[in-house]
Amino acid sequence: MTEKAQAASLVRAPSSKRLEPLHQADAGVLSIAYFEAGPADGPAVMLMHGFPYDIHSYVDVAPQLAAQGCRVIVPYLRGYGPTKFRDRATPRSGEQASIGADMMALMDALGIKRAVFAGYDWGGRAACVGAALWPERCIGLVSVNSYLIQDIAKAMVPARPDREVPLWYQYYFQLERGRAGLAANRRGIARILWQQWSPNWQFDDACFERTAVAHDNPDYVDVVIHSYRHRFGLAEGDPQYAELQRRLAALPPITVPTITLDGAGDGVALASDGSASAPRFSGRRVHRVIPRAGHNLPQEEPEAFAAAVMELIRA
Amino acid sequence: MSDSVDRRRLLILGVALSGLAGKVLAQGGSASPARALSSARLEPLRHVDAGVLNIAYYEAGPADGPVAILLHGFPYDIHCYVDVAPQLAAKGCRVIVPYLRGFGATRFRDPVTLRSGEQAALGADVTALMDALGITRAVLAGHNWGGRAACVAAALWPDRCRGLVTVNSYLIQDLARAMVPISPEYEIALWYEYYFQIERGRAGLAANRHEIARMLWEEWSPDWDFDDATFDRTAGAHDNPDFVDVVIHSYRHRFGLAAGDPQYADLQRRLAPLPAISVPSVTLDGDSDGVLPASDGRASAAKFTGRRVHRVVPGAGHNVPQEAPEAFAAAVMELVKL
Repeated sequence: MTEKAQAASLVRAPSSKRLEPLHQADAGVLSIAYFEAGPADGPAVMLMHGFPYDIHSYVDVAPQLAAQGCRVIVPYLRGYGPTKFRDRATPRSGEQASIGADMMALMDALGIKRAVFAGYDWGGRAACVGAALWPERCIGLVSVNSYLIQDIAKAMVPARPDREVPLWYQYYFQLERGRAGLAANRRGIARILWQQWSPNWQFDDACFERTAVAHDNPDYVDVVIHSYRHRFGLAEGDPQYAELQRRLAALPPITVPTITLDGAGDGVALASDGSASAPRFSGRRVHRVIPRAGHNLPQEEPEAFAAAVMELIRA
Repeated sequence: MSDSVDRRRLLILGVALSGLAGKVLAQGGSASPARALSSARLEPLRHVDAGVLNIAYYEAGPADGPVAILLHGFPYDIHCYVDVAPQLAAKGCRVIVPYLRGFGATRFRDPVTLRSGEQAALGADVTALMDALGITRAVLAGHNWGGRAACVAAALWPDRCRGLVTVNSYLIQDLARAMVPISPEYEIALWYEYYFQIERGRAGLAANRHEIARMLWEEWSPDWDFDDATFDRTAGAHDNPDFVDVVIHSYRHRFGLAAGDPQYADLQRRLAPLPAISVPSVTLDGDSDGVLPASDGRASAAKFTGRRVHRVVPGAGHNVPQEAPEAFAAAVMELVKL
């Protein structure tokens, strides 16, 4: 470990640290559990976690941003942690339109007009959806792996075989065997994905378990399975999001100021130079590759992630 | 850390690593016995109408010798037996090595026949070939799909089978339990089976069949140092026009997600209760098999009601007959001599 890396590791929260206390807000179809930090009148930042993670991806980012004057909101996505559906009859959809709409519903519930949207994986997708569909609500976007709105019409086009293998869980989840496997072995699957996606990240058992309990949510399996089937066009969407999904199908450009980050060690979405997604960003957009970082970039390299958020706030 | 745990961890971390580690682990072994050159082909091929197929097959050895039928797997071809076949022929066996449906020069006789890859079809093809060649009884030997074909035929037509050699023991599929998950680190190894459930997987196999096959060879046989010529010799068999249809159907049917060909419905009904195998059997596991970990054979013991010997073959992966031909041929000869 270099001196610089050692110095950085000293400022990491211990694995016992939790983002607490949680707040709970009725927001759209959900009662959303979220962590909040920083001054109530500061510029708002929505920090959106991915699968199979939870809000503790931001255990270091959140205090760093709060200390710099931001009002930081870190919600548990639908299906995670103490976030609950308000109505038993609501379909447990994990489609991209729903997780984007959830973020906007939370902003409405909290009276937040505009915010920086920042996320990775599912959370990056929620942020991209929010930025594309409601740019007037978005100060700026931080997205790991660039433009994440799914092109479902092209979902059946194969990738190179060596890039299909890391998606084994997505194919597994198409079968009822995969649903049963996720239900029975959610921790085992999550830990394997953490290892595959972040080969350079040395997380300990306490760090993993702090997040894994969020996957004991009673809706976790339904939401996850629906998410991975819907993106291949193999599960119907919730009709209440049909109009949003119709707009997303056109792969709308993102006009707000954007910083995209790739982890150089990302084991599932390979680091890129950002050029392939450049046409999707019609506003100011900066792309960066973060050395060593894997897929869980905010937890692995919180300074780089927090710096990207602050650049958008100061712009 | 044991080798198997080590390999499993490497599989989780990536395909490329596992092949590398296997080669390191393989160093220090004794000198390999003589092997056929990568340019050697099992030729000439013969062709015979057999049931729904016109089967291409290689034959060696005396016409009046005891018959051994050697059945290849996926994604392989008859050259799994490039060393086994001459060894058995030299010992007096009549050796028959057919291309399975969907592979090599084997063709469906009727364009409308369903391109099924279900287990009953593979087994029925074996007995159809025996009928066509006038073979009453044979040792049936195989691995992977070919081991399944051998198990199916041995279970359903024991009077036609003088003995069974199978890699990975009892291979008749329990479709009723296909949706029961296994430990996630073992599910990863089945990535291609899940991939093939969706049309993206069919398109991927059609477009990248050789790349997928090479990845599976490397994952399944981490200690096997095959060269490009060896791979290419087999990969050409996957350009068969029915390969994609048969493969996709096989992997969907085994999960109950594709209907079978009605002509095999009765056979599949007989396979559903997992019939016992009564003929003398030798079961082999490769101790470095990367897809089906080597076992002590006990879990499948109840399925073999006759004489059964189980062996773990050192240094072998999933493609046991090509990686350890002496061990495979010796198993066949033990049954021939009974």
